[in-house]
Amino acid sequence: MEKISQPVVKKDHQPKMTGRALYVGDYPSEGVLTGKMLRSRYARAKVLDVKVPPLPEGYFYVDRNDVPGDNNVNIVMDDTPVYARETVEYIGEPIGMVVGPDEKEVNRIWSEIEVSYEELEPMLDLRKADTVFFDYEYGKGDMEKAFAEADKIYEEEFTTGYQDQTYLETQGMMAQPEPDGRMFVHGSMQCAYYVHGAVMRALGCGPDEVHILQDVTGGGFGGKEAFPSILGCQVAVAAKKANAPVRCVFDRREDLEFTSKRHPSLCTYKVAVKDGKITAMDIDVKFNGGAYTTLSAVVLQRGIICANGIYNIENLHVRGRALKTNTTPSGAYRGFGAPQTFFAVEMMMDHISRDLGVDSLEFKEAHLVKQGDATSTSGKYHFPVPIPAMIDEVDKACDFRRKHKEYAKPQTGRYRRGIGMSMYFHGAGFTGSGERDIIKAVAKLHKYPDGTVEVLASNGEIGQGLRTTFPKIVAHELNLPLEKVYYNHPDTARVPDSGPTVASRSLMTVGELLRRAAIKLRGIWKDGEDQIVEEHFKEPDFVIPFYLDKFQGDAYPTYAWAVNAIEVELDTFTGISKILGAYGSFDVGTPIDYNIVMGQMEGGFLQGIGYASIEKMDYDNRGRIRNNSFSDYLIPTMKDVPNLKCMLHVEKYPDGPYGAKGAGELPLVGAPGAYVEAMEQALGGVKLNHAPFTAEDALAVLAKEAE
Amino acid sequence: MDAIKFTLNGNEVSYSGSGSDRLLEVLRDTYHTTSVKCGCKEGECGACAVLLDGTLVNSCCVAIGAVEGCSVVTLEGFRETERFAVLDRAFAEVSAVQCGFCIPGMVLAAAALLSKNPHPTEEDVREGLSGNLCRCTGYNAIVNAVQNAAKEGNGLW
Amino acid sequence: MVNGYAAASLQEALELRKAHPEAVPYAGGTDLMVENRPGVTYLFLNKVPELKAIAEDDQYIRIGAGVTFTEALADDRVPQLMKEAVSRIAAPAIRNAGTFGGNLGNGSAKADSVLIEFAADAKLRLVSLGGERVVDVDKFYLGRKKLDLAPDELIAEVLLPKTGLEQYYYQKVGGREALAISRVSFAGVFAEKDGKITNIAAAFGAVSDTVLRFKDLEAMLLGKTIEEAKALKADYLAAYGERMQLTRGRVSAEYRKTVCLNLLGAFLEAQGI
Repeated sequence: MEKISQPVVKKDHQPKMTGRALYVGDYPSEGVLTGKMLRSRYARAKVLDVKVPPLPEGYFYVDRNDVPGDNNVNIVMDDTPVYARETVEYIGEPIGMVVGPDEKEVNRIWSEIEVSYEELEPMLDLRKADTVFFDYEYGKGDMEKAFAEADKIYEEEFTTGYQDQTYLETQGMMAQPEPDGRMFVHGSMQCAYYVHGAVMRALGCGPDEVHILQDVTGGGFGGKEAFPSILGCQVAVAAKKANAPVRCVFDRREDLEFTSKRHPSLCTYKVAVKDGKITAMDIDVKFNGGAYTTLSAVVLQRGIICANGIYNIENLHVRGRALKTNTTPSGAYRGFGAPQTFFAVEMMMDHISRDLGVDSLEFKEAHLVKQGDATSTSGKYHFPVPIPAMIDEVDKACDFRRKHKEYAKPQTGRYRRGIGMSMYFHGAGFTGSGERDIIKAVAKLHKYPDGTVEVLASNGEIGQGLRTTFPKIVAHELNLPLEKVYYNHPDTARVPDSGPTVASRSLMTVGELLRRAAIKLRGIWKDGEDQIVEEHFKEPDFVIPFYLDKFQGDAYPTYAWAVNAIEVELDTFTGISKILGAYGSFDVGTPIDYNIVMGQMEGGFLQGIGYASIEKMDYDNRGRIRNNSFSDYLIPTMKDVPNLKCMLHVEKYPDGPYGAKGAGELPLVGAPGAYVEAMEQALGGVKLNHAPFTAEDALAVLAKEAE
Repeated sequence: MDAIKFTLNGNEVSYSGSGSDRLLEVLRDTYHTTSVKCGCKEGECGACAVLLDGTLVNSCCVAIGAVEGCSVVTLEGFRETERFAVLDRAFAEVSAVQCGFCIPGMVLAAAALLSKNPHPTEEDVREGLSGNLCRCTGYNAIVNAVQNAAKEGNGLW
Repeated sequence: MVNGYAAASLQEALELRKAHPEAVPYAGGTDLMVENRPGVTYLFLNKVPELKAIAEDDQYIRIGAGVTFTEALADDRVPQLMKEAVSRIAAPAIRNAGTFGGNLGNGSAKADSVLIEFAADAKLRLVSLGGERVVDVDKFYLGRKKLDLAPDELIAEVLLPKTGLEQYYYQKVGGREALAISRVSFAGVFAEKDGKITNIAAAFGAVSDTVLRFKDLEAMLLGKTIEEAKALKADYLAAYGERMQLTRGRVSAEYRKTVCLNLLGAFLEAQGI
């Protein structure tokens, strides 16, 4: 193992292990007002009147009328209000907030508020939704010719459901007016500068009048990318009005029902096959964006770029739309649109192969992209595609090829088995030219006279190990012991904007900036002096510029690759399937700490298995999410997948630090494809078109067959 | 109208609020033992687990009135023990801590398991800690850490 | 204590119960505290020694209402069938606190120990200052969250028959491997003597307002030989299919009914029927 990959004790181990780490809910409550959100009871309605009972001294009701700046939250667009406008657009939309020193009293006031509404007809059906938030289209080749010449044309529809991030620490933010007049906002978040921009706008003040600190954060997985910007504005407005610190920490029900989650999807594939090979794909992707746009534009972009999987499809047309429904706004979740389309394309490949009488793995292998091939958006796979070797690794780990053929034979008896495989990439970093044109990351190193070095960047430790891996890189280049280099949680008053903690970009992109900064510092190092070096993002020269208007060019500079296999045993009496084994080979380039990367792979893979199987969340005919508690929204426990095996395959990326690529999201993306293919085998070779695929679904398939 | 007396991490305390208050909230708000985390308030995540007279319970599902005369140990107390030191090293070695929010409950669940079963199989560990949800790790590292702690702490449990 | 009553003996518990009927009997807290209704007052029973014992007499294993699931799992006298069911309850922290009395008192048809009590024809001993009475568990449940428990009464003991539970079929169907509330649970108890079926109890949990058991349908097979039962199997299963009217839930009634009938069939098959 390379030196940089050797595991170290994580820098945040001690405070977290001893319970000393302070999360936002852990700060003493003396002098802090508690905020409780007043939320819409209807999916769409005019708010006619809010009758607030007389407020005792020190208690406040805060709503849009109290927003000193702009009542629009700065996300990608600005349609999300800080507090609801005249019309509420989804159940749970924050209308206002009750704040005060005693939580029980706050609850009493809250329960006595009377809101009168004029109900309006909500749009809840993705298939009928007609408000198009975003509509993208791209393609290549000659579709007409390919379909005209096809031997056979396949058309299928695939759907996926919500997935909730289910970080163990719910959303929580706190705002404190400071004596110098600045507003200090801190809490559980991934992107301090996103919150900074949003709060500035809501308070109508300059960049120096607000500063944002990321507190110790109990998991994010995308759920704390944009959402804390909204909550940050809400508490900041409340703190401004009360002129006192205000904290709002969601309870689990609020968090499950009213915070952003993975977009439900509906994908339609039309595929032309000639001489046993796919010649064209015509793909229509619809994502349920919920009531406001939040991050739907970028989630959709990534989703549609992955729509043809890792297969070389010469003639391709992809259209993607994010549509409005009167439901909780969807948002970022690890994988960011890719899990939905990779699921669809993997199932499509599987179904076509079976119709052709070919093993699905062999069929996929016959279509694999390789180095030098064009990407879906006519960019290029600049680096080797290690998938064939990774398939072999997974095959060796679980005897895939043999089992896959064996389980395809008819099975009888109560318990039946199946195994499935998925293969996919995760484009490392921001989609398109975002890194170059929008983020323009800056990172700094501050060397103090005592010889310690502080990393100055805005990326948040959310469990993925940045407080360790960033210093590891810097210490490595400076040849310093790791204790001499440290990275604190970012405070926008102290750190430059090195971009958000998203898109599997932090280590690859910012880590590389820090590596270069460390080299620079090494060159000018003077003992006993205070020195600061700074590095700016530069797009690698080989990248084919991406144009969003045409959807052409390199959407990503490089790709992390993965092959997953999942083996199940289905109990045909109960529909419950036991996961006999889950195997993943992951290429994220050089691991900057083997343990940390394995932790990401195992954790992400298990989240993906949850998404594929038991994590079912839906809304009813009023638009209310019913799976709003931990007994109704089930995530895997320690007992659910005991045999989870991850392997690392290293294909280095020359422009990432020591060859590292994006890692965080990759392991989640492919599980649904592998799991549902395994379920198809266990169910006797049926074709399945949705995820999650639950025990109830399995019995429904068996019941249908019995008829 | 007597106050509720119990020991918290070895110290005698008396609580004068309502007997129906949740132990979780009393620990966090009154005694500032904030290692005890609130993840769901319905006994479904284990983030608030504490040792009540040596047994693992979810403090969200305990009314303070039931704690009269009992001993409550949170990580604030347990971290001072030799047993903790073994778990600490074991968790550190395999990097089992990610976001950290589940860790206080997880550590106490591990301590409860090992004190009953000093040589657990992997299956025993997975059963013993099955009430503690972790969304970050996929659990393998935690299972390894607990098994290593059992080996390293041989004789201590 | 402020807003709460703690009893140190059964006598004291019954006195407090009579004096403060509004106070909710609190055993382990694992169900009560999920809601923890604002303003609620509890009568704490967790320190009542008389409720914490497991005992046996000629006929019964007597499990005190305050015995936790963990305690029962560690006791050799508790029948294996009961252990199998309570070992699948949630996770250790819940089993350490949750009690047999609490599982009953909560009134839910999802209670895993109560399912076994139905299948085992268990009895409950209820006590008050005025005396005590013993009721059949199925008579104790009057409907959804409705119990035959007077405002001055407490559940004292569960009486499980000492014999007859050896041959059983049990399965819990939850949403995952741990921390799972039953979506369907099934317990079947079987006995035969001289080649004739003497008991074929089948209980279904989590599918209706109370645990379901249809003694009139069981009678179809009582007194029959295995061969005779085989001939009646289709009619028997069809009769259950007709009788089971399931309540709606997050998981569909169709799914749960199919699982019930599948497990009932598996129970018969395991007995050679």
